[in-house]
Amino acid sequence: MAAPGNPNVTKLFERRLTPADSPLAVAGTTALAVCVAMGIAAIFFHHYGASPVQAYFGLFHEPFGTLHGFGYALVRAAPLALVALGTIVSWRSGFYYLGFEGCFVIGAAAVGWMSLATPRGPHLGPLFLPLAILLSLTVGGLWAGLVAFVRVRLGGNEVLISLMSNYVARFFLQYLVSGPLRAPGSLPETSVLPHDTWLPFLVPGTRGHAGILIAVAAALLVWALLQKLPLGYELIVTGFNPAAARYAGIEVGRRMMLAGFFAGGLGALAGMVEVLGSQHRLMDGISGNMGFVGIIVALLSRLNPLATVPIALVYGGMSVGADAMQRRAAIPSSITFLLESLAILLVLASDIFRFYRLNFTFLTRFKWRVSPGEDSA
Amino acid sequence: MNGSTLMVSAFFAAWLSASLRLAGPVLVAALGETFAEQSGILNLGIEGTILLGALASFLTSYRTGMIWTSLLVATLVGVAFSLFLAWMYISVRASQVITGLIFNVFALGLATTLYRLVLGNVAAPESIAVFQPLRVPLFGRIPIVGPVIFGQTAPFYLTLALAVVAQLVLYRTSFGLALRATGENPAAADSAGISVHRMRYLGTLLSGAGAGMAGGYLVLAQVGLFRETIVAGQGFIALGIVIFGRWNPLKAALAALVFGGCDALQLSLQIIGTKAPPQLWLALPYVVTILGISGLFGNRAVPPAALMKPYVKA
Amino acid sequence: MKHTLEMKNIVKRFPGVVANDHASFTIQAGQIHALVGENGAGKSTLMQILYGFHSMDSGEIFIDGQLIRLGGPKDAIALGIGMVHQEFMLVPTFSVVENIVLGLGAGAGAMLDLARASSRIRDLSDRYGLALDPSAKVGALPIGVQQRVEILKLVYRDARLLILDEPTSVLTAGEKDRLFAVLRELGRSGCSIVIVTHKLNEIMELADRVTVMRDGRTLGTKSISSTSQQELAQLMVGRAVQLHAVKPNRDLGEPILRVEELCVADDSDVEKVHRVTLEVRAGEIFGIAGVDGNGQSELAEAILHLRKAKSGRIFLAGADVTRMSVGERRARGVAYVPADRRGVGSVTEMTVADNAVLGLQRRYRRGPFRSARDARHAADRLAERFGVRGAGIDSPAGKLSGGNLQKLIIGRELTCGACMLIVEQPTRGLDVGAVESLWKELLLARQEGKAVLLISTEMEELLNLSDRIAVLFNGRILGVFDAPFGSVDQIGLLMAGIAPSGPSSPWPRPGTRT
Repeated sequence: MAAPGNPNVTKLFERRLTPADSPLAVAGTTALAVCVAMGIAAIFFHHYGASPVQAYFGLFHEPFGTLHGFGYALVRAAPLALVALGTIVSWRSGFYYLGFEGCFVIGAAAVGWMSLATPRGPHLGPLFLPLAILLSLTVGGLWAGLVAFVRVRLGGNEVLISLMSNYVARFFLQYLVSGPLRAPGSLPETSVLPHDTWLPFLVPGTRGHAGILIAVAAALLVWALLQKLPLGYELIVTGFNPAAARYAGIEVGRRMMLAGFFAGGLGALAGMVEVLGSQHRLMDGISGNMGFVGIIVALLSRLNPLATVPIALVYGGMSVGADAMQRRAAIPSSITFLLESLAILLVLASDIFRFYRLNFTFLTRFKWRVSPGEDSA
Repeated sequence: MNGSTLMVSAFFAAWLSASLRLAGPVLVAALGETFAEQSGILNLGIEGTILLGALASFLTSYRTGMIWTSLLVATLVGVAFSLFLAWMYISVRASQVITGLIFNVFALGLATTLYRLVLGNVAAPESIAVFQPLRVPLFGRIPIVGPVIFGQTAPFYLTLALAVVAQLVLYRTSFGLALRATGENPAAADSAGISVHRMRYLGTLLSGAGAGMAGGYLVLAQVGLFRETIVAGQGFIALGIVIFGRWNPLKAALAALVFGGCDALQLSLQIIGTKAPPQLWLALPYVVTILGISGLFGNRAVPPAALMKPYVKA
Repeated sequence: MKHTLEMKNIVKRFPGVVANDHASFTIQAGQIHALVGENGAGKSTLMQILYGFHSMDSGEIFIDGQLIRLGGPKDAIALGIGMVHQEFMLVPTFSVVENIVLGLGAGAGAMLDLARASSRIRDLSDRYGLALDPSAKVGALPIGVQQRVEILKLVYRDARLLILDEPTSVLTAGEKDRLFAVLRELGRSGCSIVIVTHKLNEIMELADRVTVMRDGRTLGTKSISSTSQQELAQLMVGRAVQLHAVKPNRDLGEPILRVEELCVADDSDVEKVHRVTLEVRAGEIFGIAGVDGNGQSELAEAILHLRKAKSGRIFLAGADVTRMSVGERRARGVAYVPADRRGVGSVTEMTVADNAVLGLQRRYRRGPFRSARDARHAADRLAERFGVRGAGIDSPAGKLSGGNLQKLIIGRELTCGACMLIVEQPTRGLDVGAVESLWKELLLARQEGKAVLLISTEMEELLNLSDRIAVLFNGRILGVFDAPFGSVDQIGLLMAGIAPSGPSSPWPRPGTRT
């Protein structure tokens, strides 16, 4: 048995050469980070006179304990999941696209226009939805594909270009709803879209609509693409190591542009789902920042397509719960944003702790020094 | 002067005044961010930092009524939060894009929560102590442009001075040279004995200072109040200005004027009532920025070569 | 006699290898001292220790008899030691003067005085014949001039000992002469210069003294006048080679690979392969000998199309594939084991199973879908046959040690059904047992009628496996030898650039930079 206290251990925290990456280490640091975030949020809850337990319960009860709330959770989750899927496809291919706000808006605008432009009378009927999906995939795909083209052929930086392109799309929508598509009246928004073009409601009595089904289908398709098709393999290799991809005969440029096309299509699909399922009209700000929150959902899903819908549900549900909390207990919903983002930041930061080893023997060293007489090993 | 000339000059004056007013805050944020990006760090978190600076300046002015102190507090708050961001970017080596974006959400949550917390049930104050437009004796009386150029608030002139200082520091001091080397070729900087980490920390802190001050500027010299939506994307506009200005402080000042001008134009045009949609003007600076960095027209605006790339000592 | 600098019994270990094994080295003021050896001899490591980049495990360094301690490059610079690396440490968007004064700031707020610096640069530049324009942008300068900027950086900081690491590998003949003139001038002014190189022909002309290193040890120091290239080459390269591979005789088949007048440039547009013509037949192992950096990688990359050739043609089994992409060439039967295992030959973040089908992903499928199951079977078979150990097939390939990863890559390329196999540094970092089994596999491929282009810096490997050996130096084939290979001396001389008396000159004609 080793003597208590190893005089060679001089530090409490010792830097390792490679990070500890056992599942236990990863889970441990992640859990620690989340707990710290919850603890900090609890301070805020306390200030409002709610016990943290009560608050956390209330946060989850509304969206997951009531039917009505669950419907809203579904509404919030669908577009988030779709944006997350777009993020996954593009980022895993090495194309760091951030223009989902723009794709969202473009998709919503295109579908909104199509909905308003459908002639009265004999409607397209059941054809409308497939056409709407096709349209949004195409416009979104072209929108993002353009950025991908610039990245691949001209070497432009897609992070900065896609961020800027969000503004162009937003202003375009502003123009549409203040001008050509504006409903009579003074508000910058279109008239309500014809009911036949709405997404069907899933659960009677709630606002939960079929958009979530589209999201689920998309998640399965993206999963199948990445895991089951040779194309997906090539995208993933391109994302990890473009040099190795070229070595393997993969046309890196083409794959990246394809990834951009898919990603843009998914982002636009999110816009379609929001406008046809929830808002039923076009207005400025229809994206509600979902183009960015969806990216966060993708990160929380660890870029795994199958996790996007559940995580989007949790995330969307939490925002529903936060709203309910605000209505009932006057606790500002912003605490939820605070909690969520803080948790993610701390999880990101916690990665660094896996680079350090906690030396417990260092602690016993003091014990040994203080009472040398007890050393009997 | 006949009627139409009068109208044109009035329009022009109004437009110019609005342009300068709108350009100020984003410029000071862009100046700070220029230092960060020149050192190789893309700090997307300035959007959130501006908001936190705005809140800090509001609360300080609300409590103390001292405007310069409030501006200073805003700047320091910006520095404090960017210290955390710098730690994430440089020491933790987390993805700069992801960290910055999430930080913005965090800042929104924190600012909103703190605002409600501090004000509690008190109704939002009617007004707080703010900067008043200056009245410069002689120059202020030049017809049309006088009141516009010489009648801005103090932070505006401070920002202009900072732009000049930033240009000098970046291009005429050895610190600026070292900072730029860190963003172009960190290995070369390292072998020259420069601490890449230290430079990048400083760059990020400067961007935090700029963003914090921009928040104070917004509250104390533009809007006069705090709202959660007071920033509304101006942090990202500042990023656009940095690029449009080719990572050069003086050019960024011109770029800010262009962005501000287009923004003011669409406001002014609405008063006149023209056919072209105002959004065209709003979108124009962004389109031009995109064209600038995409390489479509040769001579692509090239970011610092090591931008967004973490540096690990070999 | 006054010694400027002495390194004594330097020991430096890296995981798995002793880079410096009690190496000693002495240089005097005003001398140009060459440090020669093959790849892996330890010369770069020794100099990096001197420059403060690495710390030594044991040993001592003395300057003028005083023991010195080097904590980092800053200490070395302060002592007057400076190094010009193979990869220049320059900021392309800065001007010459900005690059030179970088890091010399006296305090954070110090204003740059570029005018004064520029005039000092002009003075130094005139004195040593460096001919630099201080205001020129470095990125626009040719490589030879950039090197001068690096040298001037050191001179500007009053460096007394300049270390140059393989300085001529990026220069044309004219630039080389220029460089030598500068170095001689510096030597005359009292600087000491160390040149790390493997090119013996050059140092015969330039250096005063030479130290040979091999396998981490310094074999001795001689003055140039008292030795010859042959002697140095022998010390550098020659060792008793155990020929223990059994190579059955084969009838050679059709030419599978034919390369005609191939010219390839590297990323900086420096021509690295100059009008190379060669032919590899089925059932033949064609070895390419040469020290790293003489164009081997560029040649191999051009054959697979990872790098575009500037001119020349490539034929595979009679068909002109010069314009074909990587995928098309692979489909026609080219396989490649690159020197860079982790950066090019594998994707370390993906599983071993995924890596086993890299390049073959369209082959392992059922209908339109990937068959992960088939991929895993392939991985299992590879792991078993080639002894890949250390991680299961579902673990990330990054967990494999270098040797095991190499076995995976070689196994994959050997079994993919290619008719032409290019193998670059296949056994680098492998233990003896693995080396032997890989040699067996390569000979088996030869037996099966594949054409193999073997690029290696290991003489033993080339001698054991090749049917023919060509020596690549400065991008040119200097000579081709047939098996059985007599003494290694001839080959060694060519590798060091020493042409046997004959019409072929290893140096490019002046002005042949593309």
